Amino acid sequence: MIAPGELRAESFARYPPQARSFAVANLPVLQRMPLILIALVLRQAIQYDWCFPREREQLSCQLDLLGRMDAASFDALMAPFSAIQLSVELRGLDWVSEPQQFSEQLTAYLWSQHQIDRYHEAAQGYQRSLEKTLAEKTVTTPRWTMVTVGQGTQQTELPLFRRLLPHGTLFTNVDPSDGLEVLLTEIRSRAQQYPLEYGHWYIEGGELHAGSKGVQGLTVMSYARLVAAAKREFALLNQFTNRAGGGGKVGVEAVSSYIAGLNPDDLGLKGTSADDVLRHFEVNVLTQGAGCQIYSTTFVQWASRECLHRAQPLTLFARFATRQRSAPVEQLLARDPLQQPQDPQGSLADADMGAYYTWINQSRLAGADQSRFLVWFEGHGVVCAVSPTLPRGTTSTASVNMRQVLDWMR
Amino acid sequence: MPRRQKTVVVTFGGGARDEETFGPEGQENIPHLMKELIPQATFFTQVVNRGILGHYVATASLATGIYERFDNFADVAPENPTVFEYFRKGLGRPVNDTWVIAPSNGFNRIGQSAGGTFAPGFGARVVLPKHLLTAALGKTSTNPSGLEFLLQDNYEDMLFTPPSVQNEIQPSKLTEMLHLSADDFTHHAQTLSSADELSVYVMRQLMRQFAPSLLWITLHDMDVAHTGAYSLYIEGIRRTDRLCAEIWQMIESNPEYKGRTTMLILPDFGRDSDFSPSGNGFQHHRTGDPLSRTTWMMAMGPHIRQNRTVDRALDSVDLVPTLGAMMNFPTPLAKGRPILEVL
Repeated sequence: MIAPGELRAESFARYPPQARSFAVANLPVLQRMPLILIALVLRQAIQYDWCFPREREQLSCQLDLLGRMDAASFDALMAPFSAIQLSVELRGLDWVSEPQQFSEQLTAYLWSQHQIDRYHEAAQGYQRSLEKTLAEKTVTTPRWTMVTVGQGTQQTELPLFRRLLPHGTLFTNVDPSDGLEVLLTEIRSRAQQYPLEYGHWYIEGGELHAGSKGVQGLTVMSYARLVAAAKREFALLNQFTNRAGGGGKVGVEAVSSYIAGLNPDDLGLKGTSADDVLRHFEVNVLTQGAGCQIYSTTFVQWASRECLHRAQPLTLFARFATRQRSAPVEQLLARDPLQQPQDPQGSLADADMGAYYTWINQSRLAGADQSRFLVWFEGHGVVCAVSPTLPRGTTSTASVNMRQVLDWMR
Repeated sequence: MPRRQKTVVVTFGGGARDEETFGPEGQENIPHLMKELIPQATFFTQVVNRGILGHYVATASLATGIYERFDNFADVAPENPTVFEYFRKGLGRPVNDTWVIAPSNGFNRIGQSAGGTFAPGFGARVVLPKHLLTAALGKTSTNPSGLEFLLQDNYEDMLFTPPSVQNEIQPSKLTEMLHLSADDFTHHAQTLSSADELSVYVMRQLMRQFAPSLLWITLHDMDVAHTGAYSLYIEGIRRTDRLCAEIWQMIESNPEYKGRTTMLILPDFGRDSDFSPSGNGFQHHRTGDPLSRTTWMMAMGPHIRQNRTVDRALDSVDLVPTLGAMMNFPTPLAKGRPILEVL
């Protein structure tokens, strides 16, 4: 296999059209990168055609910045990556056309050579340096994330929102009667007021709420709709392992590579070219998120994480539903999760943690100090609201409604 | 070492984080460890695993005292001599004096190193309770339906196909050795709620039949965390907490063990921090961040000081030389240092 310095435009012949153009346009800077980093960059670049606008922008900014650096600064930034020794086998892999597979092999190698910590340090240092140099994009309006947990749960003794309370105000006497409608109205309003491609999302753990249909500018995805794709994924994997293993076992890396190569058509996800990016995102969620195929709670948490990380939306509404009861994996992989007995209490505990993780993931984005976060025990009177306008670590027992809580958060 | 001194090692082959266990917010999940065992134990608050954070390879590293480097999912034996080989060779002990109760088929090679030069044939007998149950189900008239949950082999990669097991002892021979009929075993399994309970049940039978001097059990239920379901992870921790207390009760109520047994409990490692951007919190152990590498150890027994906390950092590979020093056998190739506080 070639070294980074030997890259040519033809090297990217197997890339999708926009990805190829992007790589060729940035060829000079790619040629200067150490192998570990370039493979990391190409893993994202090869997906360029299906990246969200924010991802494309970040990738372009990153390479622009590196291209503008003087040689000494560039070399200093690359030095931690260059210092990590790679095996001849790794260098011989087709890291240009198959950067995902290269990454998997690289990770296994770094762990086995006890170099994973060095790699993480290098990656984190690189990330910090980029963040310091690239001015954070100004957010047009504070981000809002709204999460509902406990859909369909009548009661609980779980102490909810304990992890979030230190960061916000806990309202324990909220009128739940029109809570969902108020939240959906807020989401519709924001989508209309701040039009932005992939800027407003609704991720549902069950069936989509009727109030979300036909809302201009709102990207929606639901577990109920994707279950068929998840089942298709498992069926394809079974076929693959039977075929590749000839009845024997197939290595984890081979399975990972196969999964990484699946596309929306493989999983039966139909759509138009206009929503190709979303379909690929759905495939990524299903193929990269452990457990989100079988448990709707894991699906909402992981999809929200990926949405915040990749699309960096202005608005996210994540609605947890119940997941099926636990069972042996063979059964979980084979059965329809929507037709099984549900575990409402377990789902609520999962969603409580999922809401906390969603807040953490929102907190990693630009403008975090101005972001708003609300989590509601759906159908009940408990809400935790995190906003610079509200005190932290406080509990309010006053009788309020959802509209008031939203107004106080503005 | 006095001939009848015994050691039981309990590892968790499903990492657990401090915040769900010994951290202030996690203590509600481990009432037995907190209230029953800690007062009788020397507790080490920091055990750092500097190796590969996969359960089989990490447990193998605990057992060899060297950070093994093999592929976690490969059907291979540890490269370096195991503590079982050191024990049997060093003290001239028979084959039934050390056993491993392993949580999944992927652990079937853990009893004997691949090296072959140090102590070939001196490994531990490895019992795979799930393998045993599978075999028993095939031989009994009992309807196996409903026992599949006890056979869950691996959570780390749900699509992983575990290696086919080639045990030195056939399951039928093993059940015979344990004085269990296939029907009895299957019927008892029906009263259990998890794979770890099955392991502890087999452990009890082993203690009764062979009273091994060095007994190693790895509990695995909490690794269900890989599915992303926090409630199931917590449920696994709570069950493990109860089973640890049960194991100690088994030791204290068995005349062969009572008053002469040291028990060591330690997870193989932790899980990722909530705040590590490349991870997804409790779900996995992939980042190598400090939380995923740092765990704890509890030691209890007649020669162990009670109700004592040690905050200095230990290394995971300190376990083997410590076992050697405690039981008086050499561990020449193991890294790490004996933990003086338990000697």
